[in-house]
Amino acid sequence: MLQLIPMLLGITVMSFVIIQLSPGDFLAEIRLNPIVSQETVDRMRTNFGLDQPLHVQYLRWLTNIVRGDFGYSFAYQVPVLWLVRSRLFNTLLLNIIALIVAWAIGIPIGIHAATHQYSWSDNLLSLFSYVGISTPTFFSGLLLLFVAFKTGWLPIGGMTSLDYDLFPWYGKAFDVARHLVIPVMVLGVLAVAGLTRQMRANLLEVLRQDYVKTARAKGLAERVVVNKHAVRNAINPLITIFGFELGGLLSGSAILEVVIGWPGLGQLILDAVVRKDLYVVMGSLVIGGVTLVLGNLIADILLAYSDPRIRYD
Amino acid sequence: MRERIIMPLLVIVAATLAAAMAASQSAPPTLPDIPNPKVVVEAPEIGKFGGTYIVSSISDPRTFNPIVAQETSSTGVTGAIFEGLVEQNYLTGEIEPGLAESWTTSPDGRTWTFTLRQGVRWTDGTPLTMDDVLFSLEAVFTDGVQTSTVDLLTIEDKPIRWRKVDDRRIAFMTDKPVGTFLRLIGSLDIIPKHKLGDALAKGGAEFNKTYGIDTPPREIVGTGLFILQSYVPGQRVTLLRNPNYWKVDRQGNRLPYLTRYVILIVPNLEAARLKFLAKETDLYSARAREFAEFKQGEQAGNYTIHDGPETFSSEFLVFNQNPTGVAPPKLTWFQDVRFRRALNYAIDRKTIAEQVYAGRASPAWGPESTGNTLYYNPKLPQYPYDTGRAQQLLAEAGYQKGSEGLLRDAQGNIVEFIISTNAGNTDREAIGNIVRQDFTKLGIRVTFAPEAFNTLVGKLTGTFKWEAVIIGLTGGIEPVTGRNVWLSSGSLHMWWPKQEKPATEWEVEIDRLFERATAEINQNRRRQLYFQYQEVVATQVPMMFFTNPKTQPAVRNTLGNIKLGLQGVPGELETLYQKTTSRP
Repeated sequence: MLQLIPMLLGITVMSFVIIQLSPGDFLAEIRLNPIVSQETVDRMRTNFGLDQPLHVQYLRWLTNIVRGDFGYSFAYQVPVLWLVRSRLFNTLLLNIIALIVAWAIGIPIGIHAATHQYSWSDNLLSLFSYVGISTPTFFSGLLLLFVAFKTGWLPIGGMTSLDYDLFPWYGKAFDVARHLVIPVMVLGVLAVAGLTRQMRANLLEVLRQDYVKTARAKGLAERVVVNKHAVRNAINPLITIFGFELGGLLSGSAILEVVIGWPGLGQLILDAVVRKDLYVVMGSLVIGGVTLVLGNLIADILLAYSDPRIRYD
Repeated sequence: MRERIIMPLLVIVAATLAAAMAASQSAPPTLPDIPNPKVVVEAPEIGKFGGTYIVSSISDPRTFNPIVAQETSSTGVTGAIFEGLVEQNYLTGEIEPGLAESWTTSPDGRTWTFTLRQGVRWTDGTPLTMDDVLFSLEAVFTDGVQTSTVDLLTIEDKPIRWRKVDDRRIAFMTDKPVGTFLRLIGSLDIIPKHKLGDALAKGGAEFNKTYGIDTPPREIVGTGLFILQSYVPGQRVTLLRNPNYWKVDRQGNRLPYLTRYVILIVPNLEAARLKFLAKETDLYSARAREFAEFKQGEQAGNYTIHDGPETFSSEFLVFNQNPTGVAPPKLTWFQDVRFRRALNYAIDRKTIAEQVYAGRASPAWGPESTGNTLYYNPKLPQYPYDTGRAQQLLAEAGYQKGSEGLLRDAQGNIVEFIISTNAGNTDREAIGNIVRQDFTKLGIRVTFAPEAFNTLVGKLTGTFKWEAVIIGLTGGIEPVTGRNVWLSSGSLHMWWPKQEKPATEWEVEIDRLFERATAEINQNRRRQLYFQYQEVVATQVPMMFFTNPKTQPAVRNTLGNIKLGLQGVPGELETLYQKTTSRP
């Protein structure tokens, strides 16, 4: 675990330098405002500490991070952590539900496809998977928004309705659920497509193994052979994928969020990068890095649990 | 016989007139708590109370602190909560009383005295006092407070001075008379001392953070027509009617009519459009090319798309005349007014209006938009598209088209330059392509190379290494607020910023006109000075303005009191109302 700290540090140094070396800074837009004088712009630069040398800025930021202070957003003049917190739950909610849906659908379908290889249902599912994998989220997101607009069955983007605050708790839950349908479908279909292919390939591989033959030979029911022996062995690589997906919980839906107006971290970060709102970008990078590391850690623990042959010393 | 009929008629007419006059002269409306409320007279109808008005915005507010707020996503919210001593009439652009009910000017134009309206209260019930006004001024001039108002209230490097006369009156003093003083002081929002005093005492940096978007809504206390009810990041801002507002309609009803004002935050214009078409919002500022399509959908969508006036902004082409940025021979061409005029004739503004703005733009010949009805000079020299004329002018200036079809200057240099703009701005990119074709017809070798916005700004304001740029600036009503652009010493004097001494005669002239206009109190005389400045710019063409794009607001038919104002603003929040209040 400890070797991860230099890696995180490296990431932050690189990002900091790249952001700062690219031309322009947060004040570019203000510079073109006819009523703002040069002196005012200079004062703002000093206020933000942007007039300091690069290494001073970085070290100052780093020491604050260690103390848990992620700094202030230039654009919003509020703590970066407040900005992140105000949107964190929304992104997590969307991604976790999409994750659950994807795994709940993807794994059984993958098993079905592997045990019915080359049947008409397998072929059909393969076709769906290829279409799912190759459709970018922004496209399917826009398409579904358009369907929602034409039919009026679902809300057009966003997360809650206008009168959300006036609803009782079950009304609130229902309202958010309605808004979740489109993004969860988009993210879910993409993930299901990938998972199905993975699960199918792994399971086919395992079903060819000798111990499966042995199991069948000793007269076990096919259901037990598949579910108890084959799937248990085929799932290992998927647990690694699961770890990556956990790491992407905060960033995986960024593009989709921007397309459908889901008030999550994606929009915030994209906006910050475009505007060069330095500490928001850096803060979200750190948080993203940490979740990736945590996701991998959880995957490793799960692997050890699922496969007794794996041991960490 | 005839006289006998006429006489009674006259009597009747006279009586009716007298009655009408008596009615119109009847005592102005009062409110129990506010003896002299402002009567809003622009609205055509007396509205109905209740209802929600929903608009969309493509970005979140960045702060609720009106002194710090810069961009429209923030000022759109703070504008409904906070107010200035005076305000601008949305139809005419004239200055009217606001929190100050009246004002006087000293004969020398150097002292302005404002009288505060009586009985106005902050939304938490605390009375508005002169101390709040003094506090707001102090905030603007505190070191480290991030505001552009300080630049407006600093006249020729000297901050304005002020003095509290008594509990209701404040006097402002300037060294020189300032003609635009009313408009300048209107930019100062009055903020509550009892809420923000502690923060300002801790310094500018702390003040910038107060009333941020993380503030609990009930802490945000204004005098304006709405009260902040909630802000959900990335989703919506909800404002509720201020029941103690200080404006009334013609019948003395307390405004605003609306109960709720909601700003939905949407990710992009496409989403804003869908939300409007799905009847989730009441207003959509359509893009020019959408006008025809929206016109067709009017009935089905229960809305009206209005043929609005021009905006104040305009895209323009500017050549670099700064010796630190470009060297001869390019510098020589760019500094040559004959060259610039010739090229101005070669710009096909009709095609730009047709192709970029679907015909919804008027040709622009000078720096002030046609939409600025107060100060636009309609008699400027014009440069209608005429390639022949352009070629003739170039020939007179010594430029010749060689046998290979390329234009050469008198020394035989091939005339070539790079036009840049910020990549991603589709309007500017389209204009750039049209202009490149136009100039190519003259035999000029033009490269059109859009680049990132940040890079472009860096060149314009930092390194000055650029040749020609297509860009636009925001504009206000009063041209002197653009002094950063037009004064030869200005940091945004695009073609040669921060000159120690004006490089040309005509720049001396513009500097002088701006100085005189700043000091001129009589609006008609100021208009004359503005007309002259526009003429100098149109004659010397340091910037080639393309078109003034029109606005086309689409408004739901359920809304009452729609009357288009400057820049296509559909109406005033004070008097807008829902005719059918089906929505709570």
